[in-house]
Amino acid sequence: MKSLLATFAAVFLITFLAAPTMGAGWFWDTGNAIGFAAFGGLLYLTVTSNRRLDVRAHQVLGYGVLFVAVAHAFWFLLGDAVVPEFLKPGAPDYMWLGLVSLLLLGILITVALVPDRMRVHKDYPAFKYWHRVVAIATVATATYHIVVSNFYLGTWYQAFLFVLITLAASFGRAYWIKLGQLPIATNLAYGLASIAFGALFVVTRNLPL
Amino acid sequence: MKIVFGIVVFIGALIVVFGSPIAGEIPVKENRYGSTEPILPMSFAHTDHAQQNCIDCHHNYVDGTGGGLCMTCHVTDPKIRPLLEKQYHDLCRGCHAEKAAEGIEGGPPRECMACHLGDDLP
Repeated sequence: MKSLLATFAAVFLITFLAAPTMGAGWFWDTGNAIGFAAFGGLLYLTVTSNRRLDVRAHQVLGYGVLFVAVAHAFWFLLGDAVVPEFLKPGAPDYMWLGLVSLLLLGILITVALVPDRMRVHKDYPAFKYWHRVVAIATVATATYHIVVSNFYLGTWYQAFLFVLITLAASFGRAYWIKLGQLPIATNLAYGLASIAFGALFVVTRNLPL
Repeated sequence: MKIVFGIVVFIGALIVVFGSPIAGEIPVKENRYGSTEPILPMSFAHTDHAQQNCIDCHHNYVDGTGGGLCMTCHVTDPKIRPLLEKQYHDLCRGCHAEKAAEGIEGGPPRECMACHLGDDLP
């Protein structure tokens, strides 16, 4: 639970480093809070993927993260009639890469399950290698989507720190392994953390202070 | 799981193609202001921006790079037409974000629909 809270704190606190009370209305900020919660979950899954991984817990939380990521996309697609235009030919590359990230996450999770895994990968080491490669691609495209859309990371140091925690989560494997077996949070804990940090994100930006 | 995810992706694709069934009025992309390519409607009320310096937007008043309506150049000039979305988002959203960051009442940068439903305001 501590590592989940630390991951969420890192992701959300960076958004507060500059203009913490500037929002874009309840609807828009809630949709993006859901998106940051999905990204926090994605980083958490990456950080906790060490050698002694509890595969079942990792898999179950993966479903939770995918659900939140899909909720982020559908929140905007259903709630703002202009957003679908942002996913058509001519749309900005950061929107395309957000979509790519979501599709990669879906593929990452569905292809990781037996029997599909057996059809795609000849052995377990090959699966582990490609699962990691696609996971890094998922995190990288999501990071590009968040940083380049530039809605909440308006300063160079916010963008720098955001990329830094992404790189640390993705490539700091040697260090995360030294931490030993990090217990993987349940979807209940992930949901509660998402609601708590998301509510803080939305309320701070929308209450008249 | 893959079937469920496939259905979700399919529904998402339907919304992108046909629009949201619950988001209210869907803005129509069409050739506007002399554009040869379909563009979204945009709303801008001069009366709401009377306290702004005109040249904050009308750069041509001082740099002599054009005349007439903004759209005369921005949707018809092939050199700057591809920059339309970025330039206008940067200008409108950037200015609103700066105001909000300075604590000046200027309204926050809003959701897409707040600007992309056409209006007849002067």
